[in-house]
Amino acid sequence: MLRRAFLATALLAAAPLPALSQPTAGQPAPAFTLTDLDGRKVSLADLKGKYVVLEWTNPGCPFVQKHYDSGNMQSLQKRFTAEGVQWIVINSTSPSHSDYLKPAEQKAWLLKHGAAASVAALDADGTVGRAYAAKVTPHMYVIDPNGVLLYAGAIDDKRSANPADVKTANNYVVRAFAELRAGKPVSAPSTQAYGCTIKYG
Amino acid sequence: MTFLARIFLAASLLVVAATASAQPVRVDNAEAELVAAVDAVVPGQPLSAGLIIRHDPHWHTYWRVPGDSGLPTTINWQLPAGFTAGPIEWPVPKRLPIGPLMNFGYEGELLLPVRIAVPADVAPGQTVQLKARADWLICKEVCIPGGADLQLALPVRTGAAPSRFAPLFASTRAQVPQPATLEAASATIDGGRVRLAYKPAAPVQRLEFFPLEESRIEPAAAQTLRAEADGTALYLTAAQPVAAQFTRLKGVLIANGGPAAADGGGWAAEIDVPLVAGVVPQVAAAAAKPVAAGGGATAVTFWVALAGAFVGGLILNLMPCVFPVLSLKLLSLMQHQRAEDEAHLPHASLRAHGGAFAAGVLVCFVLLAALLIGLRAAGEQLGWGFQLQTPWVIAALLLLFFLIGLNLLGTFEFSFGGALASSGAAQRLQGDRLSGSFATGVLAVVVAAPCTAPFMGAALGYAVTQPAPIALAVFAMLGAGMATPYFALTWMPAALRRLPRPGVWMLRFKQVMAFPMFATCVWLLWVLAQQIGVDAMALVLGGLVLAALAAWAFGLAQSGAKRWRWMALVAAPLALYGVFAMTMPGAVPPRGELAKAADGAAWQPWSRAAEEAQIAAGKPVFIDFTAAWCVTCQANKRLVLASDSVREAFAKRGVTLLRADWTSRDDEITRELARFNRNGVPLYVLYDRNGATHVLPELLTERIVLDALDRL
Repeated sequence: MLRRAFLATALLAAAPLPALSQPTAGQPAPAFTLTDLDGRKVSLADLKGKYVVLEWTNPGCPFVQKHYDSGNMQSLQKRFTAEGVQWIVINSTSPSHSDYLKPAEQKAWLLKHGAAASVAALDADGTVGRAYAAKVTPHMYVIDPNGVLLYAGAIDDKRSANPADVKTANNYVVRAFAELRAGKPVSAPSTQAYGCTIKYG
Repeated sequence: MTFLARIFLAASLLVVAATASAQPVRVDNAEAELVAAVDAVVPGQPLSAGLIIRHDPHWHTYWRVPGDSGLPTTINWQLPAGFTAGPIEWPVPKRLPIGPLMNFGYEGELLLPVRIAVPADVAPGQTVQLKARADWLICKEVCIPGGADLQLALPVRTGAAPSRFAPLFASTRAQVPQPATLEAASATIDGGRVRLAYKPAAPVQRLEFFPLEESRIEPAAAQTLRAEADGTALYLTAAQPVAAQFTRLKGVLIANGGPAAADGGGWAAEIDVPLVAGVVPQVAAAAAKPVAAGGGATAVTFWVALAGAFVGGLILNLMPCVFPVLSLKLLSLMQHQRAEDEAHLPHASLRAHGGAFAAGVLVCFVLLAALLIGLRAAGEQLGWGFQLQTPWVIAALLLLFFLIGLNLLGTFEFSFGGALASSGAAQRLQGDRLSGSFATGVLAVVVAAPCTAPFMGAALGYAVTQPAPIALAVFAMLGAGMATPYFALTWMPAALRRLPRPGVWMLRFKQVMAFPMFATCVWLLWVLAQQIGVDAMALVLGGLVLAALAAWAFGLAQSGAKRWRWMALVAAPLALYGVFAMTMPGAVPPRGELAKAADGAAWQPWSRAAEEAQIAAGKPVFIDFTAAWCVTCQANKRLVLASDSVREAFAKRGVTLLRADWTSRDDEITRELARFNRNGVPLYVLYDRNGATHVLPELLTERIVLDALDRL
């Protein structure tokens, strides 16, 4: 009980935390407010009543490129936003890192790749990334309409940067939603994410 | 895509250019090469081959378990018929911190050795082509997937000489950790804390653990090495959420800098130790580590623990063994209210009353915590209910409640707290209502103690493993929670006014309150009987009769018949003798009587050996950790465990029923409770046929038990 409560509260002290403590699936997802690439505020609380997917991204990362060059990520975004899911792309790269993109650059990259996310935002100080213990790009999270975290982990089970692997991979986000639709709990609420380390400042 | 294209181009050029000996291939930020330790393949003799990756400065590739990110390097061999390649023999990795994250990998020149089985029928004179596709992820700050199709051509001869790579193979193989069994190794998990302990053959100054399974140990968390009584202990942090399959601690231990250390005192070993639940103390993370487990986390846990303790304290008000005392407090408040109304006094003093009660509760909790910490420090193995495992404490409580009952019936006059005669508080109680409230607070806590264990097992387990200030604060919050409803009532006299108007009924109410007291006496006597036997019980009861005589004589003296005072003075010490004589040390209770009693022969006394034998036999086992003085345990036993439907379900599924009776102190049971991170009863544990544990809630219902059995 203590531990779960601790995790729910971890957000409050997330910024100064030197190490990352993973929020637990089945527990309230850490609240956050982000400024999107057009300067609008978006917070998790405003999205109550809708499923939310968080996707950590970094266009400089080969694992992100794997899923965008293959068109995999965009098709997931199109498919789930069409069903009313709020899909939020978050880039937590620190401005001190060479991979950092300004909002306009991030936006241009997403446009160029035909991304279909509901919201895209920078988290340059890493606050949200640390609250979710996002470690890699892409790191995926699924949150239910009551703000409860349902899934945290890898995008799929093929741990590679090879775009060809997308076809044969078992996509965990797709599986989670399929299980939810069937009225079942998410069978693997937590998996080891793979990808590039998030470049926190 | 462009870099992939480049790789394929490079690879195809290589294949075309392949000659008798391999050439290093340059791929983004690294050079790769297939090599062998010898200059020829010998029929029937295993061949030491391997992949060399020469990283550009500051670039790294990954170990078999890469840590928070990254991918392990892979080698796919394409070998002539009859040749088979073994797994990569991974040398010890380095910790590679990246911001708040941690990777495990290699920099500089790396050899990944592989043993290749060579068939006996390969003909000398020919040339063998060994081909392999190697893939890796190479990172500095950015990561680049790399890979190459490599090739090594070796002649087949009847004898071979070392190649120029032989020294590299030798030094690398020395760095490959071998499976080892550490002496007296044990691994314990307590929530997020993991402790690995063993008896070192030689002193260890540095010890690093690299997990061989992902999502088990938090890669970036600080690892703290301590020399302790039972050997060397390494404190690790479990990855959250803690995986259900985390039952063994598998990893590589690198001591004193590893086998390559200049002073020769280093080593590395692959270990696989069963992980059991238990108590792991929180240790301060080494301050020097760049990525510490975090003071911030501790602070947050601390505040949440305080909040949890406060709620726990609130709940205590509802517990059956608190209720009689609190109803007394209510009575006292009502009398106070009446006095104030009659005297047309404002309610400020009522608030002071509430404050004094709260202070009494708080002080008592803090003192109990201090005592608990003190005894812990002295190495005592004890649980929260320890007071009631000591017969003289029960006898003292029995006497106290008996006298309170007599007082309520009007045998003698005192504020009920006056029954704390031996404590010296009695004198103060009479004249000063505030100290009376203080004493009520103290009493409430003393009586509440046995009830707290079921409600706060986990919280207390947490508190007693914390540094003293934190434990004290948690206990103080428990007290604050417990005192709050009454404190609030004194600040909202409106709520108090809703209580019925004073009248004769109040006297009757007071008298009626005597009966919960006597009922408590019955319960205490029953507990005592478990511990000291029937003869001693008779003596205690005789002591109570004398106590009643003393109280009656005292009451007569109070009402003016002073000559009765001598009888009180004579009877009181005799009563004390009767109550305490047989409960002094030496009266050790027989264990297991409770297990045989009550609900029949289906239950056997618990012992670790009995439990293990049943689990080994593949039987589901249900264990009831109980104690006679634990009201919740008894309620669960009578209402749920002894019900027909539950008994039938147990029988139908062939569940072995074991009862661990903690009525008296029992170190084996105390340790078993600690394994489940508890230091109080009740605890209900169901082992399924595979020996997996299911811990049931502390308040059982038939539904809960039946559902748990259905899942078997």
